[in-house]
Amino acid sequence: MHNTKTINIDDDNRFLGDLGPRLTLGGGVIGISGIFLALLLSVARDNGLAHFFHSYLLNFTFFLSIALGALFFVATQHLSAAGWSVTIRRIAEFMAWLLPWMLVLFLPVLFSVLFGSSDLYHWNNAAVMNPDSDHFNELLAKKQSFLNPSFFGVRAVIYFGIWFLLSRYLITKSIEQDATGDPELTNKMQRFSAPTLVLFALTISFAAFDWIMTLDAEWFSTIFGVYYFAGSALGFFATAILIGVALQGSGRLTHSITIEHYHDMGKFLFGFIVFWAYIAFSQYMLMWYANMPEETHWFLVRQENGWEWVSLTLLFGHFFIPFLYLMSRHIKRNKVTLCVGAIYVLIVHWIDLYWLVMPSLPHHEFGLGGLLIDLTCLIGLGGLCVAGFAYVAGERSLIPERDPRLGECLAFKNM
Amino acid sequence: MSDSKKTTTTNYPERTVGLLAEYATPEAILEAAYRVRESGYTKWDTHAPFPVHGMDDAMGIKMTVLPWIVLACGIFGGASGLLMQWWMNAYDYPFYVSGKPLFSIPANIPITFEATILLSSFGAFFGMLGLNKLPQLWNPLFRSDLFRRATDNQFFITIDARDPQFNENQTTQLLRDTGAAVVDPVKKVDRPVRIPPTLHYVGLIFTLFAIIPPAVIVAARASTKTEPRVHPIPNMDWQAKIKPQRANPLFVDDRGARLPVPGTIARGELHEDDHFYRGVVGEAWAKSFPEQISIDAKTMDRGQQRFKIYCSACHGLAGDGQGMVHLRAVERQEPTWRPPSVLFDGPVRQQPIGQLFNTITHGVRNMPAYGPQIPTEDRWAILLYVRALQRSHNATIEDVPEDLRAALQ
Repeated sequence: MHNTKTINIDDDNRFLGDLGPRLTLGGGVIGISGIFLALLLSVARDNGLAHFFHSYLLNFTFFLSIALGALFFVATQHLSAAGWSVTIRRIAEFMAWLLPWMLVLFLPVLFSVLFGSSDLYHWNNAAVMNPDSDHFNELLAKKQSFLNPSFFGVRAVIYFGIWFLLSRYLITKSIEQDATGDPELTNKMQRFSAPTLVLFALTISFAAFDWIMTLDAEWFSTIFGVYYFAGSALGFFATAILIGVALQGSGRLTHSITIEHYHDMGKFLFGFIVFWAYIAFSQYMLMWYANMPEETHWFLVRQENGWEWVSLTLLFGHFFIPFLYLMSRHIKRNKVTLCVGAIYVLIVHWIDLYWLVMPSLPHHEFGLGGLLIDLTCLIGLGGLCVAGFAYVAGERSLIPERDPRLGECLAFKNM
Repeated sequence: MSDSKKTTTTNYPERTVGLLAEYATPEAILEAAYRVRESGYTKWDTHAPFPVHGMDDAMGIKMTVLPWIVLACGIFGGASGLLMQWWMNAYDYPFYVSGKPLFSIPANIPITFEATILLSSFGAFFGMLGLNKLPQLWNPLFRSDLFRRATDNQFFITIDARDPQFNENQTTQLLRDTGAAVVDPVKKVDRPVRIPPTLHYVGLIFTLFAIIPPAVIVAARASTKTEPRVHPIPNMDWQAKIKPQRANPLFVDDRGARLPVPGTIARGELHEDDHFYRGVVGEAWAKSFPEQISIDAKTMDRGQQRFKIYCSACHGLAGDGQGMVHLRAVERQEPTWRPPSVLFDGPVRQQPIGQLFNTITHGVRNMPAYGPQIPTEDRWAILLYVRALQRSHNATIEDVPEDLRAALQ
């Protein structure tokens, strides 16, 4: 028979094996040292601690966005009864299972707010809220019932709590199916995915508002949550491609992830580049057109003092270039070119978050010193996330062993 | 359908235009397709109720050129959208919208985007039809009862007789070898295409009727009418009341809109106090502030705030005539622009306060009347601030408080 080709994954290495503990240890060591190095580098500068917190927040929201994107992916694949994505879904599940771990990573930010630091959030300042003070800001004071450390903390706990519950259900049921093979578990996960997505949309929006938008609390954008979500989906697909390629490079999942799966993830990457651009432009254009200082000052900051170059980089680098690059079918169906695209998207996604977070750092200067802090923080938090991923993966299989749609997944061919 | 006209078709020659082979499973047709292709046939096709995976490969179908058509249409659409907006808004009828530049890219993006998408989808849709040589009215396969199953539960291969390798016996044998359950010749009747006579009359009548709307339009555009247009559903369109532009023959001048009787004053509008309301005392401009205005810090603050709101745009925050509007007019080299007056010196400083009040109220030269916008008390407050500005530019050392004099000397 010319055409039929059965894919047999029985001989695939479907476990991290001894790579797991090595990654956990290595990632943990690099992680902690990275963060301490960032802290050391920053106390050596003026304005250092504020810079450190901004860097930390930037990198935290970067990795958070990837984990949230993973949760979104798992839920949508269940809800749409998708067959094509089964062998990459477990990787996404492990990424989503990092969300509770993210609460620990969030603690530096949370504690800084609870202990009264206004290095990050200028609303966390009694003088700003006090009508008799010289620093009184009437606009911020009016938001005090929402923007106060206690409620901020309560909300953070609620977001992480909801993410914990959502990811735990989807992952434990999936792991359970490895052992029992019960198809009813698939139905349960599908049903659970519907409220998951509703809660996901709400929590990601409000988390983006709380942690990023309130850096400039006089400004607001109703589409901000969607903007963060767009970047989050991009971060996920890029990372999933890279993890897939890395695992296959280490001799694992050799036949389980086919070029068809990479092609589809590449298509999603392409689609979300367009989606991100659409949302980013919508946010910009409305405020540009109405031209109200209340809204435009946020963009004004981002078109002065060197920020205009970052903005242009986003316009061309985050939209035009990846759009034209990922449009090609041949590029998406070649693991090397696709990986180049994925790494590139992660870089511009990081630059996007840099553009969101860093302008609110007072006396921000573009320079090697600051960049070093940002990058060491990136490596630090990245190491901790790699460690977390390897820890969560542990002894578990890297694919849903007995998912009823596994056969459909392996037979999947793009047109 | 192939049964009903059998008697008439036998009068015309039939010829075989191809062979039709039926298969029961997608695997069978896939395998057969490989064989047919390997045998060197080029003019043939497969038919199936659903897409059979791997058929592209089996038939040797090359990647379609459609994506490039879509790309070209998309680029063309985007460029056209942009060009259209530039031409309409910046060139043919330059028109400022919301103070944005005539050719303003952010504002033009939504339409450009939609035009790109629209023309891309046209390219995809019509391109797909075109590449498939569709629509076609008819195909000889429609005469075959066997072929009906192609949209149901059977799979077919058709080989066109025009294929260079086509030989009725050998090709039939090949198809049987590949496992076809049935191999039928596809016949076409070479009968001249005849349109039924009634259709000629129908076509004629339809064409005549189709001329009527354009004719009516041409007639309407070429003529004028004195009767009002037909108004089929009157509803409450004509009411027994006088609207402003309507005639009312009760009055000598036939006008429905009437001015108030001379001397009519609305309640609360009997502005008897000339000093306060008109800046006039007796026959001359007032030289002092009216009694109602208390000269204190509160009035001064109010005046400063109102000055910043209403006056500073032209006269500048310092009253030096260098407001944003003036600077913009200079930048644009407006030919009819007269610079706003300097308020703290020159002619304005010489004018009595009442005259200044009158200027704010009624405007002067290019300055519009601000009376309708600014309540009377606020106008006097603004004037108090203007006096402060004048004082600040014409002050002596005695005007500075004692404790600050040292800093200046």
